[in-house]
Amino acid sequence: MHRRGRDPRRDQQVGGIVNLKPFLVAALQSALELGIAIPDDVIRHVTADVLATHLPRPLWARLLTACLGAARVDAALIVETIGVPSLCEHVPAHILWACIEEVGLRSLSRPSNAPPMSGSRPIPLVTPPPPPIEPKPAAPSTSSGPSIPTPAGGEPELDASLRGARIPPGQRFRTSTTGIGRLAANNNPRRPQAQATPPAPPPVTDPPTADASADRGGAPRAKRGQTEHDFDLETYVGGKDDWKNTLAVEDEQLVDWAAADETVTNGDEIGRKR
Amino acid sequence: MSNDQRQAWFARVMESGLENDIFAPSDVLAHATPDVLASHLPPELLSKVLAASLAAGSMTPERVLETVTPELLAKHLPHEVLWQCIAAAATRAGINKSVGS
Repeated sequence: MHRRGRDPRRDQQVGGIVNLKPFLVAALQSALELGIAIPDDVIRHVTADVLATHLPRPLWARLLTACLGAARVDAALIVETIGVPSLCEHVPAHILWACIEEVGLRSLSRPSNAPPMSGSRPIPLVTPPPPPIEPKPAAPSTSSGPSIPTPAGGEPELDASLRGARIPPGQRFRTSTTGIGRLAANNNPRRPQAQATPPAPPPVTDPPTADASADRGGAPRAKRGQTEHDFDLETYVGGKDDWKNTLAVEDEQLVDWAAADETVTNGDEIGRKR
Repeated sequence: MSNDQRQAWFARVMESGLENDIFAPSDVLAHATPDVLASHLPPELLSKVLAASLAAGSMTPERVLETVTPELLAKHLPHEVLWQCIAAAATRAGINKSVGS
């Protein structure tokens, strides 16, 4: 039973001011609790002028104290500080009803699966910083997959640590002192490309480049004095890592190698030796 | 807002309106007419209403709302009907200035 026993005296009070406040409190408080309404809806009707006119001074003192102590003053702070019962106690009923009416009519017009209303929670002014990232030492990576470029705009520290763990491009290709090898040794971000014209006679071997390849744990690089097919056989048989890394080369890169003149020239000799 | 939230709110407002005598069960049934109830209440609920009335010997708005509680009203009836009931009560109370009362 949701209605108390019939009493003629109570019948005279139906809609009277005595029971109106609890009804407004229940309607407004449940609307806020259920997300039907947000504090901004309340403050849109119970404006600062309304509060100044109808709110008693002790409540104003409490409100001012809360506002002074809060980092952000918004509608939620005002409604929470005053409280819905106190609002309904002091603010005229027609103003509160206007708020409830707006909320009720809006709930009728809003589809049930509509996204939640924005602004129900104050957004913090400062986003908490992410946890600090410990710089990791650049360990030799055994991954044979293709390197994925880091997204643009990432943190510089993170990029630096990841860059150290990536496979140097020079280990994924033949580490010779050809034009492509020089590109890899120089960490040139451009993809190696086959030369359109036959390469010029090999220059004098650059010792620092060969030392750098030995430091990275790769196979010993062939110097210009050696033939290309000897170098290929040594790399294929001896270096397991290079063999795995060679499998990870992208197709586009393989096509580029096949198009190179030196590869075509030496292909017959490799097949004959096998 | 989800339909559950809206339903819970209408149930709470209807319950509060009845508890605080903002509107009476007869006011509810003035909007939730027999046609509305028959169209939207499930058969088992209609059966309960009828059984309770038969047991008591009469069917009154109070008795109907004893069975069809505010939660069930908000669950089965169109919320527009419930809102008309609430808004009419607000108009009677003189707080609905938008109506021009």
